[in-house]
Amino acid sequence: MNRLISLLAQAGLWLAAFISVFPFLWMITGATNTANDITGGRFLPGTNLLPNIAKFFELVDAGQVFFNSFFVAITGTALTLIVSSLAGYGFEIFASKTRDRVFAGLLLLLSVPFAAMMIPLFVMFSSAGLINSYIAMIAPGIASIFMIFYFRQNTKSFPHELRDAAKLDGLKEWQIFWFIYIPVMRSTYAAAMIILFMTNWNAYLWPLIVLQTNDMKTITLTVASLATAYTPDYGLIMIANVLATLPTILVFFLLQRRFVEGMLGGVK
Amino acid sequence: MKMTAFKGVMAVAGIQLITATMALATDITVWCWAPEFNGAAMNEAIARYTAANPDTKITVVDFAKGDLEQKLQTQLASGTTEGLPDIVLIEDYGAQKYLLSFPGAFEPLTDKIDYSQFAKYKVDLATVDGQTYSLPFDSGVTGLFYRSDLLEQAGYKADDLKDITWEQLSAIGDKVKEATGKPLLSIDINDAGAMRIMLQSAGSWYFNADGTPNIKDNPVFKAALTTWVGMLKNQNLYKSVSGWGEYTGAFNNGDVAGVFTGVWMTGGIKGNNMAGKWAVAPIPKLDGVEGAGHASNLGGSSWYVLSSAPSKDAAIDFLQKVWASDVDFYQKILVGQGAFGAYLPAREGEAYSASDDYFGGQSVWKDFSDWQAAIPGVNYGIFTNEADAAVAAQLPGLVAGGDIDAAIEAIDAQIAQQIQ
Repeated sequence: MNRLISLLAQAGLWLAAFISVFPFLWMITGATNTANDITGGRFLPGTNLLPNIAKFFELVDAGQVFFNSFFVAITGTALTLIVSSLAGYGFEIFASKTRDRVFAGLLLLLSVPFAAMMIPLFVMFSSAGLINSYIAMIAPGIASIFMIFYFRQNTKSFPHELRDAAKLDGLKEWQIFWFIYIPVMRSTYAAAMIILFMTNWNAYLWPLIVLQTNDMKTITLTVASLATAYTPDYGLIMIANVLATLPTILVFFLLQRRFVEGMLGGVK
Repeated sequence: MKMTAFKGVMAVAGIQLITATMALATDITVWCWAPEFNGAAMNEAIARYTAANPDTKITVVDFAKGDLEQKLQTQLASGTTEGLPDIVLIEDYGAQKYLLSFPGAFEPLTDKIDYSQFAKYKVDLATVDGQTYSLPFDSGVTGLFYRSDLLEQAGYKADDLKDITWEQLSAIGDKVKEATGKPLLSIDINDAGAMRIMLQSAGSWYFNADGTPNIKDNPVFKAALTTWVGMLKNQNLYKSVSGWGEYTGAFNNGDVAGVFTGVWMTGGIKGNNMAGKWAVAPIPKLDGVEGAGHASNLGGSSWYVLSSAPSKDAAIDFLQKVWASDVDFYQKILVGQGAFGAYLPAREGEAYSASDDYFGGQSVWKDFSDWQAAIPGVNYGIFTNEADAAVAAQLPGLVAGGDIDAAIEAIDAQIAQQIQ
């Protein structure tokens, strides 16, 4: 009886896994097929991989596009980690009367949808002369309320005794943060890093609004542009999708173990 | 002190350098979608213009169509003109929306372009209060593309497809299915393109010239809806598809024997290995409707110049010199991209009169030219997409046997509610 339940559970999990993985399989086999094979529903790998790749590199200035994506994603992730974790640390460690009010105010701001801020934000960056720049792409996300909240929650499990001991040893606040807090919280950082890298890498709406020239475009915008042909070349779109997905998958697998720890709120 | 003086000199020199380069080089930026079609045609135009004007630098930036519209809308709404392009491509159905929502944002070209040289319906749709704003680009003149080999198996010759009604097309579909096992068309029931084609073929639209809905008391609308629902009820006629990919895939793969659509599909159809197996007929006409013909339009877009553009004059000059006078240019993009321009003198050129072996030696471009000249002009208004959605919402019910008058009432009510 128990074995039967276990078998059923296994089958259910396999089905769920298949459904989750299927879009990826479809994308990868699609990248090896022609557009007609794909719309015809062919699921087997084909022989059109190299022509698809060749066409992608012919149509897209891949070096520039990937540089833009990587630069924005890496710088954006690093700056957000520094600013948001500092803020989260501060909010949790330093108790004061106004602290909780400020924090509640911040959380309230989370409910304002981005679409409502888009036009004012655009006007702001435009009057600062920063339209079509890396700064414009990165800056609005650096002080991420969600990330501040996330770091504050995780800092709750940061042992205050460590900070007290460090103070006795004569460390300044920035040294405590740098030499004690960051190493202890590395799982939290890793999880945040994956989330931020993916958010920055996949960012679409804001870069779309604020970027004006081809040499500033990111890979997400490039893929979208490829997909609007009058007779779309799906093989080309699939290979572009594969290339656009690879970095996020790599980052995820590299940090997977820490990600799980971080999401569970682990302090090591 | 010395440093300050030095900085001052550098600053002045810098300013002079900037003004000097500005006087020398003119930068024009163009926004468009579909790089392999609109972008490629634009690049050909740029190559021709910059050969004679080496100091002008024209850059094409391509976005997905929906993205471009969102960008344009956001920036025009924000009131900041910085970063807007000099020239932008806008789909014809959306032209009135932009021209009416953002008065003053686009530059009237009435005095700059000789509009008598362009297809009239394309000029009409970009005209507001007597001012025309566009440089009409590609036409969406419609045709019935069909597999001549399959139709022949069912006993039909080219002449049998000329001057027919939609009902006759439906009957032909039955025969084709019987003889070849393949449906004649692929249809996505959520795509209201067929309604737009039928309405314009009789000189009518969802809206009156003043923008009010033209649904309830519009005999053409009723005839078009009745005809289209009748075709949808004939399961032998079509393969039901979902989305653009399946729709184009069906005829590109040879699953169905034809498609009625805009001329811009020609390039896609020629991309398959089926030379000599395709032909084009005029679209069928609405039976019993006064003024209904075999010429209509689907899609198409035009170039617009932004009033705020720093290089406005150069942009207009560029449009005049190439897009509004170079017949040879139109031959090149016709052959290269299958881009069928609305510039009428182009039809006298070599490529337009050439026969095409892919279409069994038919002079397809000449045929499309003739049909284009006959397209009735209509006012697309501001809410074509909303009207499309209202129609699509009623279609499944109608195909299941719903009452046509009740559906028309419902469509009218939905549109009236949305455009308030």
